[in-house]
Amino acid sequence: MNVTATLFGQMLTFVIFVWFIKAYLWEPLTKAMEDRSNKIADGLAAAEQGQQKIEQAKIEFTTRIDEAKSKASNIIGDAEQKSKLIVEEARNIAKEEASKIAKSSAQQLEQEINAAKEQLKEDVANLSIECAERVLAQEIDKKKHNKIIEEVINSD
Amino acid sequence: MTQGPATDNPVQYISHHLQPLQVGSGFWQINVDTIFFSVLIASIVMFISYRVGKTIQVGAPSGMQNVLETLIDFVNDLVKEAFPKPNKIVGPLGLTIFLWVFLMNAMDLVPVDLLPKAADMIGIHYLKVVPTTDPHTTFAMSLMIFLLCIYYNIKIKGGLGYFKSFLVHPFGIWLAPINFILTMVEELAKPLSLALRLFGNMFTGELVFLLIALLPWYIIPLPGSLWAIFHILVITLQAFIFMVLTIMYVSLASEESH
Repeated sequence: MNVTATLFGQMLTFVIFVWFIKAYLWEPLTKAMEDRSNKIADGLAAAEQGQQKIEQAKIEFTTRIDEAKSKASNIIGDAEQKSKLIVEEARNIAKEEASKIAKSSAQQLEQEINAAKEQLKEDVANLSIECAERVLAQEIDKKKHNKIIEEVINSD
Repeated sequence: MTQGPATDNPVQYISHHLQPLQVGSGFWQINVDTIFFSVLIASIVMFISYRVGKTIQVGAPSGMQNVLETLIDFVNDLVKEAFPKPNKIVGPLGLTIFLWVFLMNAMDLVPVDLLPKAADMIGIHYLKVVPTTDPHTTFAMSLMIFLLCIYYNIKIKGGLGYFKSFLVHPFGIWLAPINFILTMVEELAKPLSLALRLFGNMFTGELVFLLIALLPWYIIPLPGSLWAIFHILVITLQAFIFMVLTIMYVSLASEESH
């Protein structure tokens, strides 16, 4: 083989070819591939993170539900207790009221009885006085009785 | 060309087919067919590469980008195995060599008479369609790689260090003259063997195709197709070997002195 222009022509072609492939294919494409693998790695990491978050959220969810359940049962318990108390209290108040009412009515009754008794006494007294007056009016003797009345007045 | 059946004059047929289309003489002798086909192939590859490079899809690649990405990955794995430190040139270099050599070799699979006959009809009487059967092509590549190796040797070891490696390797400083001759032969054998291996393989491959073409037409299909199928392997293998050896040589050249 002779050293000819063909050889140098081919060498030049080769150099240009390599340079072109490097500049327009290799570099952008390897960069894109790297970007892609980074993206995929990021995506996988994000997915894993998301999974973990879901896991955490599930745990939080269940604890919250449990909390809410226990709170609700507490509230129901409290309410039951309170209602019992209220009922008890109402019962007590009612009893008290009833006994008060009973007492006052008994008192009133007694008063009325007393008043009636009083009235009765008065009426009896009035009646007896009237009877006595009528009896006396027929039998009274001014002289005799004046003497007695005077004696009563004077004795004081 | 006015010619009887090719089998009438096998020697003339073969030598005619192996004669490149030449212009000029002496240093300015130019093998037009070699340059035309190699530049044509390079241009097609560059055009496709340019288009793919301009419309890169980072997300989900498709079509040609997929093919090229697979190739890049393949070359990059080889480079990463050979190079401890990242190297910006050897990857694209290897890829270019593989693509170019493979496609130039693949011209071998075009029936041997098709393009020369077609050229004959438009008045071009000699045509060699496989650029790698021209030693100019293979030596052009191997010499550029050789220069790159020298550049890396000097860059990494320094001029003196590079010279010293000729003297002390492989027998130590006391046998410096022998070392020098041995290392020199070793270094020169690299580009020579690189170029001659590819040239030899492709040249003989083409020669066998020509010999098969000389057989009677009713015998041609069997050996012709067998050889073509076998040649698919050969052209891929030769392109691969050329690329791997290039990566090896450059990695050896850019090693720290040992």
